[in-house]
Amino acid sequence: MPRPSPAKFELLVRRDGEDDFELRQVASVIGYLNSRPRRLDQASYEISELRSRVALTPGFILKNRTTDRFLLLSAQERFLWDQMDGSTSLQEIATAYVLKYGEFDFEIIPSLLHKLQRAQLLTFEPTSRLRAALARNRGRVIVKALELALTGLERIRISSHNVQPFFQALYRYGGFLLFTPIAAIACAVLAVLGAVAAFVLFHDLRDMLEGFGGHALRGILTVKLVFFASVALHQFVHGLAFYIDVTDIFMATRRARVITAVTGALVHLVLGAIAFIVAAQAPAGSFTQAFAAASGIIQWQALVVALYPFCFIEMDGYHVLVDVLGVPTLKSDAIAYTKRLLSGAGRMRQGREELLWIAYVVLSTLSVASFIAFNVWIIFSATH
Amino acid sequence: MQASAETLAFLHDVRVFEAFADPDLVALTARLREHDLRRHQILFREGDRGDEMFIVRRGTILISKAVTGKVEQVLVRVEPFDFFGEMSLFDGSPRSATAQAETDVELLVLGRDSLQAMTETAPRAAAAFFYAMVQVFMERLRRSTQQVAEATRWGLEATGLDVEAR
Repeated sequence: MPRPSPAKFELLVRRDGEDDFELRQVASVIGYLNSRPRRLDQASYEISELRSRVALTPGFILKNRTTDRFLLLSAQERFLWDQMDGSTSLQEIATAYVLKYGEFDFEIIPSLLHKLQRAQLLTFEPTSRLRAALARNRGRVIVKALELALTGLERIRISSHNVQPFFQALYRYGGFLLFTPIAAIACAVLAVLGAVAAFVLFHDLRDMLEGFGGHALRGILTVKLVFFASVALHQFVHGLAFYIDVTDIFMATRRARVITAVTGALVHLVLGAIAFIVAAQAPAGSFTQAFAAASGIIQWQALVVALYPFCFIEMDGYHVLVDVLGVPTLKSDAIAYTKRLLSGAGRMRQGREELLWIAYVVLSTLSVASFIAFNVWIIFSATH
Repeated sequence: MQASAETLAFLHDVRVFEAFADPDLVALTARLREHDLRRHQILFREGDRGDEMFIVRRGTILISKAVTGKVEQVLVRVEPFDFFGEMSLFDGSPRSATAQAETDVELLVLGRDSLQAMTETAPRAAAAFFYAMVQVFMERLRRSTQQVAEATRWGLEATGLDVEAR
């Protein structure tokens, strides 16, 4: 008997207008990928390594202490079991698996879920506790506004079609030049020249930004427009480095993933360096100098933000870090661990993972605070 | 409304009027009312009072039931030659779902008074109407049962719940 296609609901979602609506098809597979399996409380199970002189690969015995049921887990299944903390979705668990083992077995997760359910070792939680909490308090104006904002954000869809052949052609007919030793050297030289120019300009920052004096609005608009264009260029170079459809980027080597992450951010390094060099050459106190210097500062800030992993945002640098450390769920684990410590629900431990989590949260907190302070200082310097 | 040849031909293809003789159909047409909806216009909401049924002549009507907040589940699309709203026609109960135009729509409206009049003046036609209506009800009941099974399958697939677990 052929397997039926996934069940679907057709939902009508009303918009703010009286009669206006949107139709959405919701397939069961979407719900499945977003479900967050949760293992039993730690007190309700025990897991121990199976030592055998016969078996070549290590195994684990997982026991439900309430029902006394046993399961034999492989090392891969043990890894998946450790991810099932109730806050990680199946999609994230699958990603973590690929990062860890470099390949994906499409049957391992469903079959493990079935085994765990049979042994009563698993529960399921709804996808978003935040949305459930908001729904319960919809009567309050602030909650309703927050819900509307979240819904608005969820509706934003950015998509592109048939870009893969375009990027392949672009790479073949010249794009590859960006990934040669000469390009790397040119990038380094530009960075050094830009840094020198920035250092020279730094002493006259106040006089220089006065070039915006008579054209404040024009200055803000042009700097913003150039920045948005550079963000588009950043994504464009990501596309050139690997390819646009990154759903299976985890199948590539670690080196390919790191290069893909870093190359987009290097756009900001090059643009910032060029901007500082232009600013250094422009007439002192002119609009061109002020514009170029402001663009340079923003571009290099963007470079730091993109590559700096400790800022609670999963940007390029974060992906490089977790790839190198081999801890794909670093941020969510670190935040959950810190929450448990701060609420008194957990105890401080001295393991490698716990130290990583603490270091991530401390560095990220300090970095975000420093970033805010730096920008306040920039604004203060430019206006006083 | 006028019993034009086009209207009579249309009504002949509507399931509940298929067995009507031409004179009965002409008499019925005189009791029908036309009602147009623009795209996305709501005809009635779940919980509204009503005592009319509607036959779709052109366009598509979405029948939906509230699930949560601003989200409703689409139960069915009513296409030309099909009808909806008949439950309130018979028992005067509040509307069980919301009806809204998916496109520009032309409807024909049959009110309870018109049905009553048809029953008295044309009992054979009325009998044919009620017989066809019962058949449609049974089909819709089967479809509802199927929808319940489908909803259960959605839940099982979405949670990965293994109900065969011992």
